[in-house]
Amino acid sequence: MPFGTEAAMERDKNQLISVPVKEQPQLPYLAAINPTGQKTLMEKLGILSDAAKYDVSCSSSGVGRKGDGTGIGNTVAGGICHSFGADGRCISLLKILFTNECIYDCKYCINRRSNDVPRASFTPDEICELTIQFYRRNYIEGLFLSSGILHNPDYTMELIYEAVYKLRTLYRFQGYIHVKAIPGANPLLVQRLGMLADRMSVNLELPTAEGLSRLAPNKHRKNILTPMRQIQRGITQNKEEIAVYRHASSFVPAGQSTQMIVGATPESDYQIMMVAENLYRKFELKRVYYSAFVSVNADKELPALPGGPPLLREHRLYQADWLLRFYGFEADELLSEQKPNFNVLLDPKADWALRHLELFPVEINRADYRMILRVPGIGVKSAQRIVRARKNGALAFEDLKKIGVTLKRALYFITCSGKMMYPTKIEEDYITRNLISNKEKLPFGADGMTYKQLSLFDDDMPGWQKIAGGTL
Amino acid sequence: MEEYYLICEDSLEGIFTGIYNAYLMKKPHDRLHICVGAEDNYRLFAVYQECAPDEKKAASVARTVLREFGEEAYLSVCRALASPEADKGEAVYKAVVTGFSMRRRRELMGNLADPYVRRVFELARFTANEAHFHVEFLRFRELQSGILYAPIGPKNNIITFITPHFADRMPLENFVIHDDTRNILAVHPKGRDWFLTSLQEGGELPEYRLSQGEEEYSELFCHFFHTIAIKERNSYVRQRGMLPLRYRKYMTEFNKQGLET
Repeated sequence: MPFGTEAAMERDKNQLISVPVKEQPQLPYLAAINPTGQKTLMEKLGILSDAAKYDVSCSSSGVGRKGDGTGIGNTVAGGICHSFGADGRCISLLKILFTNECIYDCKYCINRRSNDVPRASFTPDEICELTIQFYRRNYIEGLFLSSGILHNPDYTMELIYEAVYKLRTLYRFQGYIHVKAIPGANPLLVQRLGMLADRMSVNLELPTAEGLSRLAPNKHRKNILTPMRQIQRGITQNKEEIAVYRHASSFVPAGQSTQMIVGATPESDYQIMMVAENLYRKFELKRVYYSAFVSVNADKELPALPGGPPLLREHRLYQADWLLRFYGFEADELLSEQKPNFNVLLDPKADWALRHLELFPVEINRADYRMILRVPGIGVKSAQRIVRARKNGALAFEDLKKIGVTLKRALYFITCSGKMMYPTKIEEDYITRNLISNKEKLPFGADGMTYKQLSLFDDDMPGWQKIAGGTL
Repeated sequence: MEEYYLICEDSLEGIFTGIYNAYLMKKPHDRLHICVGAEDNYRLFAVYQECAPDEKKAASVARTVLREFGEEAYLSVCRALASPEADKGEAVYKAVVTGFSMRRRRELMGNLADPYVRRVFELARFTANEAHFHVEFLRFRELQSGILYAPIGPKNNIITFITPHFADRMPLENFVIHDDTRNILAVHPKGRDWFLTSLQEGGELPEYRLSQGEEEYSELFCHFFHTIAIKERNSYVRQRGMLPLRYRKYMTEFNKQGLET
């Protein structure tokens, strides 16, 4: 058993960590780009959090662990958000890059080699101090550490490992740690980092290999899938070990996630959902994140998005993603070759229900849990409460309302003790009209994000975007 | 027919004692009511009865609830009683009565068609949600003495629900959580168990100063908080939906000075 034991860790550390650090003098690149001296911690944090913000994942869920009383930190299975930024996204982890120097030149990325942006790098100690000091003030739930590729994948991965190793051992930090596995890095490094981290992720970047080779010429699909597969196998193997040896250390206990950019390449929603479904099934991922493409570079390969990032599309993908993970839907049910994109006006569940009116109405006091889950306006919690509450007697519409069912959406699809709430027609056009007329609550909008019509005189569109007309 | 009102002290002990006494009276339950604190609108044809909290009676009710209805119901009852609402005592009492009439008593909290159970459920949910918000949004400030200090102003009395979380998380820190509205303090000395204490009526905390490191790290965090947002996605509405304004008063990133001292 080469990994996990303390002696083995110590040995590995001596072999792998010290060698490259000795060979390459401490952070020589900093002097080269910043001859006047080091950047302050404030500047570094600004640059490296700004560079990390396009990574979507910020969850701190998936593992519950009590503190052992000798250090600082614990984790909560449901995850804890600590703040919400001006964009309404949750801030749970200290999300930073180790360095934003990068040898790659991915067209969509702000940190690409050919961009002229300020560069900075943390030292492992700085990362540890920041994490601990933020954590004890309850600002954050842990660390999210990613990085640009400095010199080569192995070197970068070792820097990450060094920081995380210090944080876990020297600072005795037991909170949440999410790290990136760098594609192309030595599998041994991935394995050892996995023993320290709670969650690991490898970004798929773009939904198809074709898109990847067009926009990220230095990255290869195979290199991305290899560490993903390795982490998956590591997790399975580790579960078996823990079953036998209860105190074996755990490998990536909160599972792995990935993200893909939506709207930079011409894939349809159907293609994206099929990729996501495969990732859940074949790679057993905990989460797939979708990131509406934000145009940060002017490049002829990239689409111009005068309406801003495709947030509505991203929102529909997340809705569908939830349907896959918690509602027992399959991607094939929601979309098909003939209908490759989600309906703009209706959420995927209502859209599905309208195409399957033969299954409705559903009798709330009798129907199977899985069928109740499929009713628009009923979520997982309401469905569970219904199934539990109806054991003590038949439920009426009034009870459903109190339980948390959104009746104005559900009423077309359900009966209580054989009666519908109002006499309604079960007819596609009629229900569609009614569902659309009570406005869907979107998580964005009101200050800026609307489905605005494009106009020729759209003057809040930056000039360069007009010139860099995209291919979409 | 006369209605009976038991006036209980506003505490777990007080209300549990009230429930015990209500059962002692052996009157039909629909004529018995529990009210919390002084009643300001007395009714005709009603008998009012003061009910002094009694530790033994309260413990007995707590044991019974836990034994008969299980941990879920017990926790819900405790949470519901942390609420500031006046009808909490009545809701809990009648939910217990409902529970005894059920075949599967452990399913008490699932019986949401019953109005009292539903009320307990609602109250408990509000407390649990608010407790969770405080676990998220509470902010510690480091004082010159090295003590971490966090003021909060919750609607429900949640301090006992959140302190164990922080005690487990930071066993080696001295920290104090201060409920501003009730003037209760949860104190956690380094390496030892935490305890509750309260400030005397009109009492104030000794004057304190923030540490050097506090200024530095709060500033770093504010900077991080601003750079991490993607401005192309800005949505004030979404932010406010996730982080209600009333919590921001105590949060470092919305109130850069930390606290007005």
